[in-house]
Amino acid sequence: MIKTENLSKIFRADEVETTALDQVSFEIKPGEFVAIMGPSGCGKSTLLNILGLLDNPSGGDYYFNDKEVSTFKERQRARLRKNNIGFVFQSFNLIDELNVQENVELPLIYLGMPASQRKKRVTEVLEKMKIIHRRKHFPMQLSGGQQQRVAVARAVIANPHLILADEPTGNLDSANGEEVMNLLETLNNEGTTIIIVTHSQRDAEYAQRIIRLFDGQIITENIK
Amino acid sequence: MISNYIKSAFRNIVKNKFYSFLNILGLSVGLIAFIFLFLYINDERSYDKYHENASRIHRIESNFTIAGKDELFAIVPIPMGPALQLEYPEVESVVRIFGAGNSLFRNEEKESYEEDFYFTDSTYFQVFTHKMIMGDPDRCLVEPLSIVLTKSIAEKYFGDKDPMGKILESGSGRQFKVTGVIEDVPSNSHLRFDALISGTTLAAEAGEEEFNSMEPARFWNIGVYTYLMLNENSNMGSIHEKFPEFYDKYMRDIGDQINAGYELMSTPLTEQHFSDNLSSDQPKGNKAFILIFIAIAMFILLIAAINYMNMATARSTKRAREVGIRKVAGAYKGQLIRQFLGESLMLSYISLVIAVAFVYLLLPDFNLLAGKSVTYDIFLNPVFIIGIIIIATIIGIISGSYPAFYLSSFNPVTVVKGAVSKTGGSGILRKILVVFQFFIATAMIIGTIIVSQQLSYLRNKDLGFDMENMMILELQDSAFRAKAPMFREELLQNPDILGVTNSIGIPGRNNWIQVVRMEKDTGWIDEASIITIVDYHYFDLYDIKLKQGRFFDENMGTDAEEAVIVNETLVKTYDWEDDPIGKTIHWGFELDGSGGRKMKVIGVIEDYHFRSLHNKVQKQMMFMADFNKSDLSIRINGENLRETIDFIEEKWNDFGANRPFNYRFLEETWDEMYTAEKNLGMIFSIATMLTIFIALLGLLGLSSFIAEQRTKEIGLRKIFGASMANIIRLLYKEFAILIGIAFILAIPVAWYVLDLWLENFAFHIEIGVFAFILGGVMSLAVGMLSISFHIIKVASSNPVNAIKYE
Repeated sequence: MIKTENLSKIFRADEVETTALDQVSFEIKPGEFVAIMGPSGCGKSTLLNILGLLDNPSGGDYYFNDKEVSTFKERQRARLRKNNIGFVFQSFNLIDELNVQENVELPLIYLGMPASQRKKRVTEVLEKMKIIHRRKHFPMQLSGGQQQRVAVARAVIANPHLILADEPTGNLDSANGEEVMNLLETLNNEGTTIIIVTHSQRDAEYAQRIIRLFDGQIITENIK
Repeated sequence: MISNYIKSAFRNIVKNKFYSFLNILGLSVGLIAFIFLFLYINDERSYDKYHENASRIHRIESNFTIAGKDELFAIVPIPMGPALQLEYPEVESVVRIFGAGNSLFRNEEKESYEEDFYFTDSTYFQVFTHKMIMGDPDRCLVEPLSIVLTKSIAEKYFGDKDPMGKILESGSGRQFKVTGVIEDVPSNSHLRFDALISGTTLAAEAGEEEFNSMEPARFWNIGVYTYLMLNENSNMGSIHEKFPEFYDKYMRDIGDQINAGYELMSTPLTEQHFSDNLSSDQPKGNKAFILIFIAIAMFILLIAAINYMNMATARSTKRAREVGIRKVAGAYKGQLIRQFLGESLMLSYISLVIAVAFVYLLLPDFNLLAGKSVTYDIFLNPVFIIGIIIIATIIGIISGSYPAFYLSSFNPVTVVKGAVSKTGGSGILRKILVVFQFFIATAMIIGTIIVSQQLSYLRNKDLGFDMENMMILELQDSAFRAKAPMFREELLQNPDILGVTNSIGIPGRNNWIQVVRMEKDTGWIDEASIITIVDYHYFDLYDIKLKQGRFFDENMGTDAEEAVIVNETLVKTYDWEDDPIGKTIHWGFELDGSGGRKMKVIGVIEDYHFRSLHNKVQKQMMFMADFNKSDLSIRINGENLRETIDFIEEKWNDFGANRPFNYRFLEETWDEMYTAEKNLGMIFSIATMLTIFIALLGLLGLSSFIAEQRTKEIGLRKIFGASMANIIRLLYKEFAILIGIAFILAIPVAWYVLDLWLENFAFHIEIGVFAFILGGVMSLAVGMLSISFHIIKVASSNPVNAIKYE
């Protein structure tokens, strides 16, 4: 499903050059649950952004579904993204001006799904995430755990093959964190490929494989 | 403390270069527009106030009631002024101004036509204040044939030489002695003249007794501009009150005979410029224009102030931390308010300095455009200086007040924790302000469109006659007038001269109004009508259409004496529709009804516009008379214009015209009738452009802020599948709705005001949907364009930025 070869990313700010990723190569098969770990600033999020087709690498190849995508234009990446990838973030990243239902519905709107189907699908997913009773609430009115469940609902609404989660439990207490991880595990059991970036060893336990990054390089890549 | 405010204000201005630039640009442009409009209005309001006795001077005017209808004139019968002075001790002095017409003057080689020389009473300089350069104000207009020149006229005829005592000769051979020179009449005088000639000249020519006669009949002839200067403690009210007795004594006998009445009216000198326009009046200012300009000036400034408010509150989240820290450090709310007001005041004063510099540079262009002569002295005028500083201060306070109170009310705890609402102040208020700005801008765009539509209507409307390439020669010399038929024959030899007609009165200049006796079923009726004396060629040359009957025919011997042609309006006025042909009109009769000429109507012409489109078509009668006629209309083939004009000039001199060859094209004369509207149109479109420009600056700033503020939302939308087009559509839609609301609000307001303006014209366009649609589309287009830069930028930005935003 995903294969990278010598992936690198360099940020330039005036005189300073920072290498965020350095010759990163690995492969992830469909249906895998992979955790990316490492200290702050090691390049985890940068890697996740590239894997999520939000950003292009500075060098190396990135095969997504056997297609080399590292030089894709934003428009092409956007098309791949909306059909294949769902995102979950540490800070939930819900749109404050939209209510729960509208936040979750968003990807379907951009897929061009008719309103009646959208409604059905949103209801389905909200029920599954046990947040249906809050469908008319705005993000500000929800607890952190509830917000993250909405974010997961949004990530899965379009039935993506791949879910990328950046520190999904980072802003949650342990009970809520566990609940979110269980949700992700369920999705993985149903066949969705999942990649999470995390600091938490406990979260990493859910994964079948852990990739450890340090200063932009892979130091270990072990199957549990 | 103050220096801390200033330092902090200055640093904030420098730090936010983009916003400061937009604000200063907007406020400067707003202030430039405001100062110019202020100068214009100030000049308009200063008319005639410079006379020392201004408050005691009144112009008297006439209301003649003829056959039950009121006719208002700016002039009064010649003996009216002196008779009032005789009767009423309130009247201290009387000044009459007699037009001298357009006549030729010469000194040695230098000769020229003068339109603005007037005869006046010797009291002129005791009543009105002028700066006398040479001569004795009390004596200079006493002797017959005395003339007082303005400085520029003195230089025109006498150059550097001392003109005093020199002779200026008129075309008719009168020899005027220069007895004084005054400074040119200020441009803010309703009465403009280039020279004054002693009224005793007329008295000497007509005979003292005749000229000063107070015979009843002389009160029933329209005469001259007359000004009364009253005693210190008198007012016009008492004179108006006592006027019925005056009427009985001097006027009633004849009034009853001719079934007419007379009422004396008056206008204080200082209100002259904005008073109602009467027949035979001098050019006036337009109070409605002034009100429109005041409104525009206010709106432009207000829009600039709103820009500041919008941008300042929009950026408030960025300032919130500073507010929190200052509060934690012990600042009172009042101190913070002063600090933020200090910033807006500083921007306002910077803008004022820039604006004044531009006003200084653009002053000559302003004078040219507005027809004013504002001098650079204005920049040293304390009232002006204090005035603009006050305005800048008010603008600074208005624009700074809302942001100041809003920002200073932040709770330091929430602010420092960074929990201030992300919308940066009340989004609703900002929307209302944007709607308000675009409401004004849209209304002004619609106004500009309709004003220009009306102007083009005025230019292009079929007037019912043909003025193309029509040259007008005024024949001043009576000897030459007599030769006009021969001159005409001579001109027609040239194939490029398509026709010539000799008349008294031409379209656009029909000043002959006289009471005539009209046949009615019920008997005779006496009414004033416009009279034009024509020849056999007039109708054909002007291409005036016949509706009924026939034109004058050289083969019909009686036409020259007994035939008259009238227009449709006249036919309707007297209910002649059934059979106008053969009706009788009695013209030129004496007071007892004897004498004159009885004429039969032989033809009716379709109404044509012989006066500007401000006026309805009035009743008009046209007939032939064997006296010499002053107007020569010559239609020229447009292709060889230069050669043909040279040919006419050559013939003019051959015929011994004895006067310089001085021609005009009729189209120019007609163009000038709409000068006021053209100026309004011009000023209006400039003001509209400025308004739009400032509103656009505001949108530019606001869209930049919104793009910044919504980076996260937009990034998220993109992450979840929104294309760039989706995002652009989303953001455009929000602005489009605001502009749409503004448009809907602008419709009724623009409609109402423009409808009012169009009522100035007897003939005008109907306000159409097109102007509104075009106005709406234009305001939407410019609005969208101005936000495009930032919207496209944010829509095309990498969504990763949205995540980094956290």
